[in-house]
Amino acid sequence: MADMRSRLTRGWWFLAPGLVLMTLIVSVPLVMAFRYSVHRVFLYRFNEQDFVGLANYLRAFRDPLYINALKTTVIFTLGCLVLSIVLGLLVAFMLNSRNVRMRPMWLALFLIPFVVTPVVAGIAWRFFMWQQEFGVINEILGALGGPSPYWLLERETVLLAAIISNSWHLTPLAILVFYAALTTIPEDLFDAGKTDGAGPFQTLWYIVLPMLRLHILFVSIIVITSAFREFDMIWSLTGGGPGRATTVLSIYAYDRGIANQDMGMGNSIAFSMFIIMAVAAWIYITLYRRFLEDEG
Amino acid sequence: MSPRTRQRAFTVLLHCMLGLWLVYSILPPLMLLAASFNSTALFRSPIDLLLLRDFSLENFGDVFTRGDFLFFFQNSIIISSSAVVITLVVCVPMAYGLSKISGRTRSVVSFGVLAMRFIPYVVFALPLFLIYVNLGLAGSRAGLLLAHLAIHIPFATWMLIGYFESVPEELEQAGIIDGCTPWNLFWDVTLPVVRPGVIALAILVFVISWNEYLFALFLAGSNAQPLTVGITRFLGGAEAGVEYGVIAAYSVLIIAPVIVFALAANRYIVSGMTAGAVKG
Repeated sequence: MADMRSRLTRGWWFLAPGLVLMTLIVSVPLVMAFRYSVHRVFLYRFNEQDFVGLANYLRAFRDPLYINALKTTVIFTLGCLVLSIVLGLLVAFMLNSRNVRMRPMWLALFLIPFVVTPVVAGIAWRFFMWQQEFGVINEILGALGGPSPYWLLERETVLLAAIISNSWHLTPLAILVFYAALTTIPEDLFDAGKTDGAGPFQTLWYIVLPMLRLHILFVSIIVITSAFREFDMIWSLTGGGPGRATTVLSIYAYDRGIANQDMGMGNSIAFSMFIIMAVAAWIYITLYRRFLEDEG
Repeated sequence: MSPRTRQRAFTVLLHCMLGLWLVYSILPPLMLLAASFNSTALFRSPIDLLLLRDFSLENFGDVFTRGDFLFFFQNSIIISSSAVVITLVVCVPMAYGLSKISGRTRSVVSFGVLAMRFIPYVVFALPLFLIYVNLGLAGSRAGLLLAHLAIHIPFATWMLIGYFESVPEELEQAGIIDGCTPWNLFWDVTLPVVRPGVIALAILVFVISWNEYLFALFLAGSNAQPLTVGITRFLGGAEAGVEYGVIAAYSVLIIAPVIVFALAANRYIVSGMTAGAVKG
């Protein structure tokens, strides 16, 4: 009993200081964001704050630009999700084949896009990949006799370009997690599939995917949180344009709150993002527990 | 085709596809590297750039003179390394403590830590900006650092919990029998076991801080600006008039440290990124 009690207090002594600090550092901005979101407050007129209830939120929901930013953010997030999961699975599956030599070296090199500074990645894609006249993409398309669009200047293509550029940055995480998971699946299982006459794609679909459910869920939530709040990459790639074709919620919150100095509205946009993410987190945790229970 | 040839053809095809993915992965940074070593008098095709047809080092000179590289570099280094030190000092004991308390409280706190990781960065940046501007804290490194900590501390704690929970209970039991104080148990018994995890975490925190832009744009004023803001001074104006060579050289100098890190400390980064992939 005495041992039990000392164990408990010991844990708390280590835990308490950090816990207090973390709670303060995280909750003060969060509470203030909510506070400003229900006030009329402007950047350089901090002392005149009027309580306006949910007026800022109602203004946002009636604002076509907010709805547009929300739509753009959702498409961007889903695009990044699908691309990084599909490509991540394919590359990890190929890498896990026992015919591949020097797997750690491949993996190390595949990791590079993940650590490249997102602002710099946006710059690299903007000037050297998507650029209309001398960009790598149009060079390749041209060699194949294809068109050479102004990727970043057309409303129709810019979002796709942003999704591909951002997935380039996120896919390494998917490759890494899936590859690590695949290495724990015993070889016999693949062999069993082979003797039953399954090709590589059938093996992937019927044997591997069901075993990777939890990992796919894990990568999904990381990609969703990261893409949903993305600012840096889009900012340096397109600046939110042309027009507002790539103005995602993070950029729109900056636009209202800082560029237009309407902090009430800016914070209500930001806080609405927090609410959406809270729902996503809740769905994730519910699914995760269910999957874990299924696996026993 | 004999099975043997087929096997070999399959292997070759597999390596070709992996090679293709490798090219895709490294081409954007490689183009930056190539362009940084070319004079930018003309726009050039990717092949010309990669072959260094117009070799020149003037871009790097410009980065240091017109680009004020050292000023921004100093801010980046100070902010990133302080973020690492503070995060470790706060989170290592915290995660350890969390792994020692009872089940119910632990799952509540762990849940809270996980939930904090979902908060979008603008939710921190906007209110802090307003508060800093009005308290005169705008443009201080400490203010910027505080925002970094708001994302590092939940991330680090969450990652470290996994490492501490994987340490077998028997290890500390043995320590208690040997008469260790609580501090000895933490510092001399458990911490050495999780050291690889702590190193992985330190590297990831450094890379995240080094790469951060949104907080810097909102909160850095003009005194605390890191490299990610420094480079944007060349980005203004129409695309045609842009000095892409200087921008490329600047980019190379920003990403070189993190890429070297990623390759040299690969083992740690891999373990850090997959930590917590699947846990209850």
